[in-house]
Amino acid sequence: MVIANPQPQVNYRPTKDGKIYTSSFEKNIPMPDDSLNTLPKSWLANVKKLGKKTAMRKKRYGIWIEYNWKEVYEHVSNFAMGLVSLGLQDGEAVAIVGENDPEMYWSQLAAHSCHAKSICIFSDALPNPDLVYAVTATGATFLVAHDQEQVDKALEIRDKIPNVRRVIYWDDKGMWGYDDEWLASYAEIEALGVEYGKTHPNYFENQIKTTRPDDTVILSMTSGTTSLPKFAMITNWQLAYGFAMNADYVPVGENDNWLSFSPMAWQTEQAFGFTPHCCVGMTINFPESTATVPTDLREIAPVGLLFPTRVWENLASTIRFRVHDSIWINRKLYDWFMPIAYQIIDLEDEGKPIPLHLKALRWLGEFAVFEPLRDKIGLTRAKNVLTAGSMLAPDVIRFFRAIGVELRQLYASTETMGTIHLPGKVKLETVGMIVPGVELKITEDQEILIRTQARFAGYFNAPEKTGEAIDEEGWYHTGDAGYMRDDGHLIYLERVKDMIELANGHSFSPQYIEGRLKFSEYIQDVMTIGGFDMEYVTAIIIINFDNVARWAEKHMLSFTTMVDLSQKPEIAELIKQDVVRVNDSLPPFSRVKKFVVLHKAFDADEGELTRTRKLIRRTLLQKYGEILEAMYGDKKGVRVRAEVKYRDGRAGVVETDLNVVTLE
Amino acid sequence: MTVKLRLENISLRFGGIKALNDVSFDIEEGTIHALIGPNGAGKTSLTNSINGFYHPQEGNIYLDGKLINGMPAHKRAILGISRTFQNIALYTNATVLDNLMAARHIHMTTSNMLTGAIFYGAAQREEIVHRKRVEEIIEFLEMESIRKARVGALSYGLRKRVELGRALCLEPSLLLLDEPMAGMNVEEKEDMARFILDIHEQQKTTIMIIEHDIGLVMDISHRIVVLDFGQKIGEGTPDEIRQNDTVIKAYLGQGEG
Repeated sequence: MVIANPQPQVNYRPTKDGKIYTSSFEKNIPMPDDSLNTLPKSWLANVKKLGKKTAMRKKRYGIWIEYNWKEVYEHVSNFAMGLVSLGLQDGEAVAIVGENDPEMYWSQLAAHSCHAKSICIFSDALPNPDLVYAVTATGATFLVAHDQEQVDKALEIRDKIPNVRRVIYWDDKGMWGYDDEWLASYAEIEALGVEYGKTHPNYFENQIKTTRPDDTVILSMTSGTTSLPKFAMITNWQLAYGFAMNADYVPVGENDNWLSFSPMAWQTEQAFGFTPHCCVGMTINFPESTATVPTDLREIAPVGLLFPTRVWENLASTIRFRVHDSIWINRKLYDWFMPIAYQIIDLEDEGKPIPLHLKALRWLGEFAVFEPLRDKIGLTRAKNVLTAGSMLAPDVIRFFRAIGVELRQLYASTETMGTIHLPGKVKLETVGMIVPGVELKITEDQEILIRTQARFAGYFNAPEKTGEAIDEEGWYHTGDAGYMRDDGHLIYLERVKDMIELANGHSFSPQYIEGRLKFSEYIQDVMTIGGFDMEYVTAIIIINFDNVARWAEKHMLSFTTMVDLSQKPEIAELIKQDVVRVNDSLPPFSRVKKFVVLHKAFDADEGELTRTRKLIRRTLLQKYGEILEAMYGDKKGVRVRAEVKYRDGRAGVVETDLNVVTLE
Repeated sequence: MTVKLRLENISLRFGGIKALNDVSFDIEEGTIHALIGPNGAGKTSLTNSINGFYHPQEGNIYLDGKLINGMPAHKRAILGISRTFQNIALYTNATVLDNLMAARHIHMTTSNMLTGAIFYGAAQREEIVHRKRVEEIIEFLEMESIRKARVGALSYGLRKRVELGRALCLEPSLLLLDEPMAGMNVEEKEDMARFILDIHEQQKTTIMIIEHDIGLVMDISHRIVVLDFGQKIGEGTPDEIRQNDTVIKAYLGQGEG
């Protein structure tokens, strides 16, 4: 019998008004029928269909050890029955802590098949409070712990987790010296399962047949910056429906491979690794160790990759660095073909036709440079190359496009699916378009609300948190600010709480505007200004002296110092072009109306920046009050006397006129 | 307790210089035995005498109760004495894997030059057996990511680890480690100490270690022998050594009083 998750009554918040958007594409999402509407059911169907085909690989001792679907079935079913024979009940929870391994997938599948929930915990969790909290808050009754390291953590907090019946490890390295009834190896539990299976034939498959789409299967830990982490309840339906929804944009099949190395505690791995494995039988590969991921990646050449932006940025700079460290012929070929690839991208972006000779050269380059380069990083077969989290710098996206990898942005969270860049429709500044099956609402204060069936069921044992996040009409309040462009692309600004309100009642996102402006090679730093007593947005801009000086030399513009160069009308015009370009991507009320090019750079020594180069806004506003006055008081220029501290400790005074540049 | 290695009145001279003078002690089976002393005390000379690089003019060396005086180093290796070097001695232009496989040579028995050259049948099967053992050691020492890296391109700490791996490939019953942690940072030292303890615990290997980091030596060894100017000036458990006045004077606290 299935016991529904007993959840307390939730008071959903009232909804907010706003404009509702849906996908501009017609698409019927293939609804999984009753026999396949949960992940365990689909998985069982794949076991029967794929049988002797490889389901998983694990690299060990330098070779890939394969498990076919039948073998995986044995490992999962026996483990599941082993847990049941030790008293696992419907609706209970199994906590899993460790690094990705087949056993991690198996124990999660075993739990889901038996109507139990799984909680995956980061392998670097501290025993106290992280592990104690994760286990006690979810009421887990079994703890599957990778190896000696994790088992030691469990032993350390033993008296704080009295509900845990067994701690089960799958890597027995270093475990021979432990003699404790509380501990058991994965194989021991499987052996118990075999015994149980003898007296309970068909038990396991019957359990799977009675799994339900609205069962909560995963409790996904979401970061709490100010409070303890919450556990989002992920249902079978969220996973299955979310997968069906994305099937056209993130296509995978049974012959595709996935390299499983981002932590299972992240919903990413669950949605893009675990779910396709169950739904369509995608093969999962586990690297030998964290340090071998790059080589393992190359050997597997997976169909999809989803990295946080930071990883892509690192990868781009590593590739560039490696090329320049390579032998001369490689360097020459790279230096020769890269500009051609960039030229083609620019033409594509402008929508112009690509000349035949360029196409031919790019084709040659494919053999000489690009294909081998993609091979090195394991991207030869990648169809779905995704990034999520913060925005990627445009030059990183351009770099990967040049070598033949279309990097796409995804906007989603643990709680819900959102938007994605469709193949061939990548726009640098957006987070993509709404996929069919998602409704999106932009409220008056620019918050993004999302309504979809691929949404979490609420926070576990936290009805008040659930009520804050979901409203009475079923919209999930993301807490993110953004807006929809006419071409159907969503622009993500920043967290709603970081937006600044203007006197006209509209809000703007300083970080968004500053971030966009800093993408310009001529702008080093920028501070946008606005507030409840100001009518429009203004900016103080610092030029990138080296790049602007080079530009000036190229255009026969003579100058002496930074102070001189920054106030040239030609430079104002140059910077204006960038500001206009950024303004075009903004709604009218949050556009930068006036700006001043500062005669010096912001300096950490003068208390204008933190040592990590973040703006200290309060100091800056005080210090440049005269400039502010000029910009909000219709003046054409302002005379500044700025104290400058030289590096040898002396203080000097610079006096100069700054021009206020106004945009139409 | 059985005695793994017995040294009886060992004296070693190079011309007029007495490197070792009448040194005697036992290493018991399954213990970690440390050898400490100031520079030039004769620690490495003693290690070289045990593994057969040097042959002391006087005294007897027994391994498992059997007299091994005069036996050459490669035969002692077959009997189970394996070592690492103070100055790393690996094939720098070969990969980690090749270095380790080379160490398996003394365990290769079935193939001759001909079958080895055509790499078929018994020779191939043998290679697979040994490769498996080498891979286990690679996993044990967490060297998966550098398996195919050229040794010359590795950091110092990693090369030390490879050297330990090579010593393990010989499947020693007595492992001599000559300053395995010299020149390492704290983290690398801790890793190395963990590996040494794991080897001792898992494979019951008897270990003799030369090390200058006294704190670390006190932490991991069961017994300590102190040498100074070729003479044994102290022996005992870490606690006893800590309180041994001669040792303190000669080594630990000289010049402070």
